[in-house]
Amino acid sequence: MDGGGRCVRDDACPAGRRVLRPPQVESLLWDDWHVVAEFEQLRRSGRFATALLDVPLTLELDPDSGTVLARAGDEPLASVRIKYGFVWVCLGEPSRDIVEFPECGDADRLLGTAGSVRVAVSGLRAVENFLDLSHLSFVHAGFLGEEPLTEVKPYSVESSPQGGVIATGCRVYQPKASPIAREGFDVDYTYAVLRPYIVVLYKANPVEQHRRDMIALFVQPVSAESCVAHLLTCYLEHGVEPAAVRRFQQFIFGQDRPILENQLPKRLPLTPAREIPVRADMASAAYRRWLTDAGIRYGAIPAAADPAA
Amino acid sequence: MAAGYTPDLVERWFAVARTEEVVPRHVVQAQLLDQEIALWRDDAGAVNAWENRCPHRGVRLSIGLNTGTELRCQYHGWRYATGSGQCTYIPAHPTQKPAATMRVARFGITEAHGFVWVSLGTPAGPPQGPATGCEHATTLRSIYTEASAATIAACLLRGYRFALDPLGADESSPDAVVVAEDAYTLRAKSSHAGEREAAVTFFLQPMGASQTVIHGLLTTHGVAADRLAVLRHHHRQMTALRDAAESR
Repeated sequence: MDGGGRCVRDDACPAGRRVLRPPQVESLLWDDWHVVAEFEQLRRSGRFATALLDVPLTLELDPDSGTVLARAGDEPLASVRIKYGFVWVCLGEPSRDIVEFPECGDADRLLGTAGSVRVAVSGLRAVENFLDLSHLSFVHAGFLGEEPLTEVKPYSVESSPQGGVIATGCRVYQPKASPIAREGFDVDYTYAVLRPYIVVLYKANPVEQHRRDMIALFVQPVSAESCVAHLLTCYLEHGVEPAAVRRFQQFIFGQDRPILENQLPKRLPLTPAREIPVRADMASAAYRRWLTDAGIRYGAIPAAADPAA
Repeated sequence: MAAGYTPDLVERWFAVARTEEVVPRHVVQAQLLDQEIALWRDDAGAVNAWENRCPHRGVRLSIGLNTGTELRCQYHGWRYATGSGQCTYIPAHPTQKPAATMRVARFGITEAHGFVWVSLGTPAGPPQGPATGCEHATTLRSIYTEASAATIAACLLRGYRFALDPLGADESSPDAVVVAEDAYTLRAKSSHAGEREAAVTFFLQPMGASQTVIHGLLTTHGVAADRLAVLRHHHRQMTALRDAAESR
């Protein structure tokens, strides 16, 4: 870690409950909530070491109170919460709350974590891959797509009033869209990028095709070029086994990981000159534009810093 | 990329693989002057040396599929034609003709002396050859080192020896005479008993500032009785060279 990422005591805060924001991290990321561990993993080990935005973190579970103590370096953090089965922290002053998913309150839904996977690439690349429709027939052939049905039909992309990007009307043929799908069908997808490192997808449930399963990807930016991908699944019950959901999502993400780790450069280039988009990439293009407009540089190669631009 | 390297390095040939390693229907990953390269041979026998990233979303083409006439990217199935590097097909838009800008960056490529040679520029002449009167040439197993090309060259110039007949346990083989043709081409020539002569020409491939691949080409009069023993012997000698260079 370079000097800029070191945790130092904030002089203006003698209680020592804040760390100083490194210059390479935008406040939009610093003053936001990020998942840093699956709670179950911390519960089993009692203590867990990780890193967020170049800052080393340790998490400790108090077995009596069930509370989590998070330290950035030696400094205890004020903003720690457990939600959706994950441990969330904010390194700065939270400027907004943790993302809300109303579906997660539905009584007939099964909420589950599908594991946390370390990926040696910028977390922005992981978010973009999650938004990507045209890779399904290749990277997830036989499950989320298959040749020759590779065409990506037009879909709509708009920016969200709360910030972020929403893609709707995405229809793809999927041979095995979920762990309980028995046959292929045209699946209706909606994607929403909610935060720079948080994206969610809604897809038609194979039993109740008018209702939708939800999968959220919380990306923990460990450094500008590495991340941990945390998956939250929120399926309609319909005979879904939690272990099967977990296994299915880990299998699917296991197919994405080698692709992600073979992307060059590791950071996401924001200029279209560096990586040529086509119409099927409307969602990813909108995501890159939104990151540019929001001034996100962490994990990215902004157009101004790109010699290829 | 080759940023930070002098034009004479960019504008010359370097051996980057043995010809026999670049087999049909495979893609070989190489690196020259910090530039990653995807090498692949089409079914007609021509070798392509391409920038190792798909121009669409940056995935390494070395994990792609060599179909014999095209290279197919693993991520979205985009296909690129041998020779031109032009994208021929975008599966997400089957009826759309890919734009001329959807093309992989290519590097200079040639095959000579049992090696595939690549240049990041456009060199005028052919690659440096073994330039001996010996009629039998054998490529040796290439060795990866964590050392600069200059360190390898310095180690070679301090002395190198090899036996003409490894089976004869020729421990008394004389020191070879090592000559640097240039900073990346060195020749170790050995005369045994005054009459028989053999040489190993070393072609150094600078992967970056501190990683080098040593390629060796053995030239002899006559064919050795036990080829495998000869290859093993040279592999041991080159491994010792690597160990010496890495401990400096």
